Amino acid sequence: MDASECARFETDVAIIGTGGAGLMCALHAKRRDPSIKVAIVSKGAVGRSGCTRMVQGGFNAALGPDDSIDAHFRDTVEGGHYLNDQELAWNLVCRAPEMIEELEASFGCLFDRERDGRLRLKPFGGQTHDRTVHRGDQTGLEIMGRLRDQLLRWNVLELEYWRALDLVFDNHGELSGLTILDTVSGLPALLLARAVVVATGGSATVYRISATAREKTGDGVAMCFRAGLELRDMEMLQFHPTGLVAGRSVLTGSVLEEGLRGAGAQLFNAQGERFMERYDSLRLERSTRDVVARASYTEIVEGRGTPAGGVLLDISHIGADEIARRFGGMLERTRLIGSDLTTGPVEVSPTAHFHMGGVVIDADCSTTIAGLFVAGEDAGGAHGANRLGGNGVAESVVFGARAGETAGEAVSDRAHYQPSEELVQDSLARTYAALHRELGVAPSCLSDRLKDVMWEHCGLVRTRDGLVRAKEELTSVALESSSIAVGGAKEMNPAWQEALDLANQLTVARLVVESALLREESRGAHYRSDFPNRDDESWLRSVIVQTADLGESILTRTRPVALTRLAPTGSRVAGYE
Amino acid sequence: MLSTSLPTRPAGTRRNLTVDIARTDAGARRAFQVEIVEPAVILDVLLAAQRLEPSLAFRYSCRVAMCGTCAVRVDGRPTLACQTRVPGTDGPLRLEPIAGLPIVKDLVVDMAPFWAAWRRTEPWFVARADKQVVLAEGDPSRVAIERGLDCIACAACWAGCDLTGTETGFLGPAALNRAMVLTADRRDGRRDERLAVVSQSGSLERCHYIHGCSAACPKDLDPARAIRQLRRWRLRGRV
Repeated sequence: MDASECARFETDVAIIGTGGAGLMCALHAKRRDPSIKVAIVSKGAVGRSGCTRMVQGGFNAALGPDDSIDAHFRDTVEGGHYLNDQELAWNLVCRAPEMIEELEASFGCLFDRERDGRLRLKPFGGQTHDRTVHRGDQTGLEIMGRLRDQLLRWNVLELEYWRALDLVFDNHGELSGLTILDTVSGLPALLLARAVVVATGGSATVYRISATAREKTGDGVAMCFRAGLELRDMEMLQFHPTGLVAGRSVLTGSVLEEGLRGAGAQLFNAQGERFMERYDSLRLERSTRDVVARASYTEIVEGRGTPAGGVLLDISHIGADEIARRFGGMLERTRLIGSDLTTGPVEVSPTAHFHMGGVVIDADCSTTIAGLFVAGEDAGGAHGANRLGGNGVAESVVFGARAGETAGEAVSDRAHYQPSEELVQDSLARTYAALHRELGVAPSCLSDRLKDVMWEHCGLVRTRDGLVRAKEELTSVALESSSIAVGGAKEMNPAWQEALDLANQLTVARLVVESALLREESRGAHYRSDFPNRDDESWLRSVIVQTADLGESILTRTRPVALTRLAPTGSRVAGYE
Repeated sequence: MLSTSLPTRPAGTRRNLTVDIARTDAGARRAFQVEIVEPAVILDVLLAAQRLEPSLAFRYSCRVAMCGTCAVRVDGRPTLACQTRVPGTDGPLRLEPIAGLPIVKDLVVDMAPFWAAWRRTEPWFVARADKQVVLAEGDPSRVAIERGLDCIACAACWAGCDLTGTETGFLGPAALNRAMVLTADRRDGRRDERLAVVSQSGSLERCHYIHGCSAACPKDLDPARAIRQLRRWRLRGRV
């Protein structure tokens, strides 16, 4: 495919990804100035791919009578084991309440309220106050449905089922836009933009058992990495403690929401022991996700799990009516596979869920590349080493809106730049390689190997030996991936799309392993059994990864966390009010 | 829900299943033998078939009935592939794209007509000027809205309706259900205008309450009831 015959679209703001962050970004850019041209690019259905829509639990905002911004901030940073970028966390908690107000009053979201009209706030793990705003267990659907409908008001170029390939630059390094691929026709195009916002979501699909939507293959992070941006905390990938166990079914790994534990659900091993008493006797099942997930994992690998490789979650004691009223969606989910939350325990396993690591950004979503912004799960730092339930959708909405404002502002004094032919050509050549190759390996085999090695050796419990093996195996998968052949036509070719996903998954997986090897301590989601303790002396630092050669080699270094507001002793940093 | 009404087999059961999958290329393979292990849903069957035939096209994203992209017809009935257990019966399973929409490839349909109708109802919330209304638990407006909320726009209802494929101007069950949700909302500032748009489309008279939509809805919504509600409001001349 020749770059010169490629179709061209021109816009002011190009947004990659149409989950919560992407749509909030589009709406805020338009709201700032309706004359701004906005294009959204999504390899899945617009507003219906990614994970915001799947959010069951809810949205944290310090709105309760005794709650405060400060308390939400402390919970977020303590829950993040002090690895957070405290300015990002601060922006997150400060702006969460006004976003709830906006979602309700401007976009029409209907959140649960009490009889006296107050918002109903539910308790979530690792939090000192009830602060999770929700609509039953369908919170994400309510938010995304309303945002999608709002978007229909505006004239936005919707590039639905178009895959974003690579950021492209002019010969002086100015960002021009990106190369994109229509997954239906199989034809490429250039999307020229004054500002690009990357909001594709995370990469938990690099694990065999994962909770996320299928689109989450690390596209945005990999794209930013190739473009030379710094990434941080890539070793911090959260496992949700309660993924469904459904044998070989694709339903395995889908999440049973955190609110169940908030409402009193208990975890038992196969011997009937309430094992959380041994791991966190104070908070038990309401401990943070990292603690509960690793406890369950340890029970399973030490032989106290069920034959199918799970532990047991039981909430039947709160009563069938209460479960049906508060957790109807979760009840359906268990009944579908032949178990039942109302009658007894349900088998669960930890499941890969959320990437805390990601692109280094400023609080206004800007990056070190002019005109390039990152929002939502693709960005790193807000959650540190562990994310609190209810802070994910809050991050997407808060920073999506912020990116829309910043990008909207940036386009007023940023020109269009013509991309380097060579970069475009290179991006397209890599994209079409697997399609044009006649004979070679199928992407699904390599994809399986990648997911298995990440689960076995770079999962909830890591060791130096395991990580070295993971690194070797990934190198071998990467080598073989250069001979993938997908066969068939370019039009709507699922195997080709899987191969393109795999390239990004491989990039992210390599970065996770590399960062995990370097961090010789245990903190939050990252647990090294050969370094089982948190080491604040040496490791109040982020692992930074970067590349100078389009992703061929990885440069690693560490950087101290800027404790701008709160120190690990729990005391406020001097000068911070 | 369809998923709970079909007989299924116990967990761990392994068997070979014969499947007939509609393909757009005349020469493409349609008959598949796939091994399934219970619990298995239709999406597992499709993924297994795709391993045998990588060109087989279908859509899905979330696996948990939220994205609404995996609607297909299973033995003639529209449903979500991720929420429908493989029936315990022995006969070959028939999988086809949902009806009433143009087919793009294999089981993938073009949702454009569905969204065009949805957009015609002007489904975006517009706050009343005062923004003071709060819908507490038990508020009749909230109760009415909640009846129609949680639509995932999967178009199973569109496929289950015998008007959508043929009648021009009929907005379809999902769009009308969404219009009901917004019209029922005391917080919204454009309820009368929206009701007028929907009325002028003629959709409220066209529906003759066969209830194919409500039967097909994988989220147990009742679009037919929403349409009746809109008609009552229109006849009354106000919400």
